[in-house]
Amino acid sequence: MSETILEVKNLKKYFPIRGGILLRQVAAIHAVDHVSFDVKQGETLGLVGESGCGKTTLGRTILRLIKADAGTVHYMGRDLFRFDRKEMLKVRLEMAIIFQDPYSSLNPRMTVADIIGEPLDIHGLAKGVEKKRRIIELVEKVGLAPFHLYRYPHEFSGGQKQRIGIARALAGNPKLLVADEPVSSLDVSVRAQILNLLKDLQEELGLTYLYISHDLSTVKHMSDRVAVMYVGKLVELASAKEIYKSPLHPYTEALISAIPIPGRGASKDRIILKGSVPTPIDPPPGCRFHPRCSYSQPKCAKEDPEFIETKKGHFVACHLR
Amino acid sequence: MSESLLSINDLKTYFFTAEGAVKAGDKVNLEINKKEVLGLVGESGCGKSTVALSIMRLIRPPGKILGGEIWFEGEDLLRKSGEEMRKIRGGKISMIFQNPMSSMNPVYTVGSQIAEAIRLHQNVQKHEVEEKVVEILRKVGIPDPSKRMKDYPHEYSGGMCQRAMTAMALSCNPKLLIADEPTTNLDVTIQAQILELMKTLRKDFGASILLIGHNLGVISELCDKVAVMYGGKLVEYSDLTTIFEKAKHPYTQALLESIPRLDVETERLRIIPGTVPRLINPPPGCRFYPRCEYAKAICGKQEPQLTDIRKGHTVACFLYTSNRRTKSSDG
Repeated sequence: MSETILEVKNLKKYFPIRGGILLRQVAAIHAVDHVSFDVKQGETLGLVGESGCGKTTLGRTILRLIKADAGTVHYMGRDLFRFDRKEMLKVRLEMAIIFQDPYSSLNPRMTVADIIGEPLDIHGLAKGVEKKRRIIELVEKVGLAPFHLYRYPHEFSGGQKQRIGIARALAGNPKLLVADEPVSSLDVSVRAQILNLLKDLQEELGLTYLYISHDLSTVKHMSDRVAVMYVGKLVELASAKEIYKSPLHPYTEALISAIPIPGRGASKDRIILKGSVPTPIDPPPGCRFHPRCSYSQPKCAKEDPEFIETKKGHFVACHLR
Repeated sequence: MSESLLSINDLKTYFFTAEGAVKAGDKVNLEINKKEVLGLVGESGCGKSTVALSIMRLIRPPGKILGGEIWFEGEDLLRKSGEEMRKIRGGKISMIFQNPMSSMNPVYTVGSQIAEAIRLHQNVQKHEVEEKVVEILRKVGIPDPSKRMKDYPHEYSGGMCQRAMTAMALSCNPKLLIADEPTTNLDVTIQAQILELMKTLRKDFGASILLIGHNLGVISELCDKVAVMYGGKLVEYSDLTTIFEKAKHPYTQALLESIPRLDVETERLRIIPGTVPRLINPPPGCRFYPRCEYAKAICGKQEPQLTDIRKGHTVACFLYTSNRRTKSSDG
């Protein structure tokens, strides 16, 4: 078995909502609520869910870009939340992130060479000629050319910008890459280029991906295992093959059936969920999906189902399973 | 035989910017029959929305419709006066916009916005208007419509807003409904609800629909025919099955193979090299030529014309013009 690179346990992040004259906390957004999973070395774990379900917060909390309220994240067996500044800086080299919007995640006043060179400077990885050689190596790796180095982000198309973002993420030779919706802002014909690039890089550099997206088709294409999130909680986790073929959670089932398949014409047996995603400020008691679930039972409204392994490697949080 | 409702001939819409003319719609030809749903597919910036706005005559400066004809029920919309167009807009032709939240007026209630459309286009008594609003909101599936019509748009969720927009568009029984990416900003489960709604409305109202989008899944769910646009030009046009199973234009083929799909296992996706062309000074000849793997010398010089390769299947590509050797590209 391959070893575990990342182990997330009972991770919790609530964002306070303040109000009144004294700005006391009046409510909280339950963005990530007791989430546990692990990521194996060299695999791609897909994290899917609808907008506002907490995927992005989860990704960022794992990287300590957002401070968690409770829970632990073990990276290579060590508790990440206990690292001091120095240790964290070191570990940041090994964990990188690719952002959703390549338009706003690149500094418009820096050239490509500066953008990619910045992590090299911060971590003191390379200087002078060596730095330049490394930058050229990185841009070539992501399919850009050395003559692009002295241009500014606005001179590039969306796909090229995302390539720059990937090159920057690769600068510190990371082991784990969190890709937060890396293609959702790109044109359809350009998406395939970036997806293939990510796959090639994974093979070449032995990267581990946490691939966050709302698009189930690309997640299926990219991932070995898939975790499904609903209003701050994981509801199901299994191998990509299994989760798409035989989903156990009613939400996963509805989510998969909701996707129109090109060229198949109108589908007949689609599960249409009633209502919309509840607000994470005051999520429904019990199972958070029960108001929209067609199999809902009295128990579902009272008890929060546990996230348990029902089959080998197949976790689900549902009273029916 | 089905009758034609809207037919666009050689529509030319350019936007005149400081950098030069953006050829967003360049000799576009389209035809929509009565009760038909036509899908207009293409990537962002290919001119899909420009076509829609041209039909509505909503192109604003620096944009201008330079030529062509848009025949709707036997009359050329491009020759109508502003006053006449205002009667048609929202009446016989109505439109659903991409972002429902920002297309509604935030300071009026949803109900009053729908009532406005009804009052302007239909000859109804004052007290009947409210009944009509409730009825139409019920039809699009808004729960408790007599209460919810008094809500403001911000009190609606994205999916409900889209329903309300749809209600507004349908309130005057339009002959043609233009839906510009109606589900793009919605979550998949809400998208499924809206798609279901559009299917029932299509049956109940009998309107023709021009559905604009880049999501091929959504398109195949609703459409009878599909037109593919690239770089301001129409490149292929046929019925739904032909487009998905026997696409001929290299761009359509590549587009279909470049999307990851739930129903097919693919190790590697097909790549279309390069990016979408800028429409200021587009490449000469075929606009897809710089990215096309079958490109020949002629493609960079001459512009391919839309040609019928079979009945009901039109392609603009030199691979299929009669006297040329065609390279097999099926499968």
